[in-house]
Amino acid sequence: MITIKHDGCIFCVGCSSVCPASAIEAVGTRMKHFPEKCVDCGLCVKICPANVIQMYKGVKEPDDLPPEAKRG
Amino acid sequence: MRMKYDHDVIVIGGGPAGSTFARVAAAGGMDVLVIDKRKEIGVPVRCGEGLGKGEIIKQGLDLPRQCYSIEVEGAKVVAPNGKAIVWKNEGTRGWVLERKFFDKWLCELAVEKGAKVHTYTRAIEVLRDEKGKPNGVKVSHGGREPYEVRAPLIVSAEGMESMMARQMGFKTVHALYDVDTCYEYEMKPYDHENLIELYFGNEVAKRGYVWIFPKANRKANVGIGIGGNVANSEKLGGVKGAQPKTLLDAFIKNDKQLKEASTLLDFGGVISVGAPIDEFVKDNCMIIGTAAKQVDPIHGGGIGIAMETGVMAAGVALKAHARKDYSKAMLYEYEKQWRPGLGKDMANRLLLRKVLEKVSDDDLNHIFNTLTDNDMPDVMDGRFAGPVAKVLAGRPQLLGVLSALVPSGKPKV
Repeated sequence: MITIKHDGCIFCVGCSSVCPASAIEAVGTRMKHFPEKCVDCGLCVKICPANVIQMYKGVKEPDDLPPEAKRG
Repeated sequence: MRMKYDHDVIVIGGGPAGSTFARVAAAGGMDVLVIDKRKEIGVPVRCGEGLGKGEIIKQGLDLPRQCYSIEVEGAKVVAPNGKAIVWKNEGTRGWVLERKFFDKWLCELAVEKGAKVHTYTRAIEVLRDEKGKPNGVKVSHGGREPYEVRAPLIVSAEGMESMMARQMGFKTVHALYDVDTCYEYEMKPYDHENLIELYFGNEVAKRGYVWIFPKANRKANVGIGIGGNVANSEKLGGVKGAQPKTLLDAFIKNDKQLKEASTLLDFGGVISVGAPIDEFVKDNCMIIGTAAKQVDPIHGGGIGIAMETGVMAAGVALKAHARKDYSKAMLYEYEKQWRPGLGKDMANRLLLRKVLEKVSDDDLNHIFNTLTDNDMPDVMDGRFAGPVAKVLAGRPQLLGVLSALVPSGKPKV
């Protein structure tokens, strides 16, 4: 799973352009990650020019999870 | 019963491609709706802002003064050892734009021709008829309750993200190898020579380059682009320390002028440097500009190509509109026009990029030492035979790499 550090994000949408699963999208003025679509490939981590996307192991609920992604 | 449409065409994205398409289509009598998810057309800026004069002149447009920062005469290409080649002639003149104003101006031209533009309006979903052909878009204005807009033709001019194009079935996902990840500062003061400066070398920028685009009032856009496949995390197969911001900071620290300069703006982005996607049209859909990866693989510039493509695609859309036939077969004419002209230029540039990324810094130095200012037009226009022969004369061991540039097999040494 990944987390996006929104503070340093320059909103270039690079992550969403390489995401094979369409799991990151620009929504409003920030990038949103849709964990249910994410395939953990790490391409967004590699491509981010601002280096604000990080990968971690396991399923953790990040604080910035969009409400629609929080199931149950 | 026939579907009732709100518009003749919906253009997703109000950048140079979308606005140009909208202008030409609206001028030809189509009812055009442009939607753009941004609050303001042209903001945020995500590029180096260079544009050659050719396309603007060809389209008979008169660029207003506020749309550009400065006129440039050409480019200076610098090898790892500091040797520079200047590429400057009639055809290399251009502008460093103020994208914010430029994009808005292009969009306004479309509005003046009768196109309708909605900002802060995001396309959420491509709508389809009972046969599965796209016939509209579900959109939301500023995150409010979504609504449906219907049109028989949907044009994706979305740029890098191209989420709707993916829904239409275009293969717009970028491979890491075919993108550059870029970081850029606007800096001041920087005294320039009215030339775009490009610095090559594996030390400076792994599989990419550092650029300095001069701007008015001693300002400059200083940026770096490095290959997506080498960037960032070494765990995932990248090169250690190959992070665009880190490398750019290192370059600035080593530059006499820039190390004293201030930064006025941080920005960045990802640019496509690969081949265009394999199809540009489907039933009731077209894809234009950066969304279709129609970007120069050498310098990552896409504005000129996007505008030329916009005109081309709109011409075909108008024909389709006249016949009320938006089938793939009808729209395919756009792709048929594109591939042999712009497509061939792009293929040449892609070849050059792939060859350049294979040569070492030492070989790059040799190439720059051998070539002169006069060779640049040949290289940039894809006439590689002459320059390649010259380089090989001094360093035949490069034959293996450079022979790819000469179509008829082995070049004469």
